[in-house]
Amino acid sequence: MTRTHFVLLVALIFSCLALVQTQYESRRLFDETNRARDELARLDAEAQRLEAERQAQATHLRVEKVAREKLAMRTVTPAVTQYVVDTAASGVGK
Amino acid sequence: MIGTKRRTSSAVSARSLAYASSPLLASKTPPWRSRLLVVLVALGFLGLLGRAVYVQIVASDFYLAQGERRFVHTVDLPASRGRIIDRNGLILATSVASNTVYVNLKQYVATPSQRRELLRLLGMTPAEFNERFDSKLTEVVLKRQLPDDAWRQIRTLGVKGLRAEAGYTRSYPEGEAAAHVVGFTDVRERGQEGLELAFEKDLEGRDGQRGIVRDGVGRVIDDYIEAIDPEHGREIQLSIDTKVQFFAYQRVRDAVLEHKAKAGSAVVIDVVTGEVLALANYPSYHPAQRGSLTKEQFSEAARNRALTDVFEPGSVVKPFVAAWALETGRVKPNTVINTASFSVGGKPIRDTHPHDAMTVAEIIQRSSNIGAAKLAMQMEPRELWELYSNVGFGQRPQIEFPGAVSGRLRPYKHWKPVDQSRLAFGYGLSASLLQMARAYTVFARDGELVPITMLRQDQPAAGVRVLSPQVARDVRKMLQLVTEAGGTATRAQAMGYSVGGKTGTAYAQDGADYAGNKYRAWFVGMAPMSSPRIVMAVMIDQPSAGSHYGGDVAAPVFSSVVQQTLRLLNVPPDLEVRRQIMAQAVAQAAVAGAR
Repeated sequence: MTRTHFVLLVALIFSCLALVQTQYESRRLFDETNRARDELARLDAEAQRLEAERQAQATHLRVEKVAREKLAMRTVTPAVTQYVVDTAASGVGK
Repeated sequence: MIGTKRRTSSAVSARSLAYASSPLLASKTPPWRSRLLVVLVALGFLGLLGRAVYVQIVASDFYLAQGERRFVHTVDLPASRGRIIDRNGLILATSVASNTVYVNLKQYVATPSQRRELLRLLGMTPAEFNERFDSKLTEVVLKRQLPDDAWRQIRTLGVKGLRAEAGYTRSYPEGEAAAHVVGFTDVRERGQEGLELAFEKDLEGRDGQRGIVRDGVGRVIDDYIEAIDPEHGREIQLSIDTKVQFFAYQRVRDAVLEHKAKAGSAVVIDVVTGEVLALANYPSYHPAQRGSLTKEQFSEAARNRALTDVFEPGSVVKPFVAAWALETGRVKPNTVINTASFSVGGKPIRDTHPHDAMTVAEIIQRSSNIGAAKLAMQMEPRELWELYSNVGFGQRPQIEFPGAVSGRLRPYKHWKPVDQSRLAFGYGLSASLLQMARAYTVFARDGELVPITMLRQDQPAAGVRVLSPQVARDVRKMLQLVTEAGGTATRAQAMGYSVGGKTGTAYAQDGADYAGNKYRAWFVGMAPMSSPRIVMAVMIDQPSAGSHYGGDVAAPVFSSVVQQTLRLLNVPPDLEVRRQIMAQAVAQAAVAGAR
């Protein structure tokens, strides 16, 4: 057993411990990414649901009803519309 | 006794001190005993080594598999069904996460207050809830399609014996307005009706799979095999514009209710691209609440009448006859035809408003059966048949929709002269409202029939030429006359836009016979007439209150929908707003508003 051997042995032991630690860390992080991924999927689903719900709350059927009944609005007619032709853009401004 | 023991123990300790050198022991232990011991220990180690070799090398596959079975799990990665969106990206159908809640009848325990809260969150009545327990199974479905947050709240209640399975529910934000177009899916998310069914292959996704390694406490610590990603369903973008769809649905609904009719339909087609902008039917249903309807109610409400109901198009076909007479040079728009009386095969043809003589344009404007029959009788049967076929009558419409019918147009070889004369004013053939709307694109597109589609198009569609542009324009002028003073559909006029079209009214068929007091009224038209952008067809089935004529029942629906649609499409008005007809339209609107 020379001095070199001893140093190498110690190094080996530390290396082993480091390996175990790294493995543990990697598993922990993997679990974390996995949770994050699940959360992402959940939030995605939630976003989809909310988007659908928002639109269901704002269907034309409902908007028109509220506009007519609560806000006393009426539908636009050409009689009350000033048409402006924009030569730069193709659309017709209102 | 005690004395003896003490002595013995002191003797033992004295002997043990000199154990190695004890001549007594040394001489009495034979050498084979220690060798045997060495051999036994060696054998023990060899056994372990052998076992290690066996486990690690010989049977390693078996042990790896066993290990996997304990730590590796395969989880399904559910693919979501594609969304259906309208031409502007608004959602018509989407999948939202939901839960199916199961109850284990043997494990279910809840206090009365827990039970009350549970019922509230599930949205069930006590009777419904108790019904679930009349089962011989251990576990039954308590509630399907329960939203995520409701399930999360239920979990906090602490009721025993409940579990949930995650899944998806289809949500239809536009509800009944677009129900017939979009259709619906079953509980397993497979398309059952409408475009959900037509595009099943594209919409459905393919589930993925993932192998994971779990540790002792259930945490996921590693991927075991490379995951197969789920293939999500494709998104389908329709040609439908939800705003136009909404207008069409709303006006058809109002007309059906106002005239106490049985049903109504409307189709709006973009002439340039052939896109169907709206396809509405009333009565309709809410896709998410269709479970509350009885079977008869549902089959009545779910029928996509615009595509599946065929009827004799009546006067709507007269412009085609006139167009072909013009095309073949038999007449000019101002050629005068004697319309006093006309009989074919001994059967007289009658007009609602008889006149002795009319020009071709007036025949269309006043919808003269005699005039149309006279024009048709100048033609060969084959000519008329080809004309009708070319504009799509008797042909299955090439549209991505399940259940679109072809209507009926008998082969001309079986026609008798009386059949031919009747075909001239739309009897003896049948067509759906969609077919009629499409046929009118011939006039709107200067003689070209456009292929129609339910999917959004960015390019103008290439049409098939049926008539020459000049003839199409001439007929368009006649169609415009129909909506002006002296025509049958003055109520089709829209503020700011010139319109044209043709009314139709017929006895509704009751089985094989015509029902004497049941009518069907419709109007097919286009706007603006200078350069038509949309074709719209409206049909009201069996109006029973007030007038039953197409010009009174269907034309007003056309008028209001066309006006809104053109505005939404940014089509500038082609009429001066302060013209005479505008004043009439305003007065009408005022009357309608005051009612």
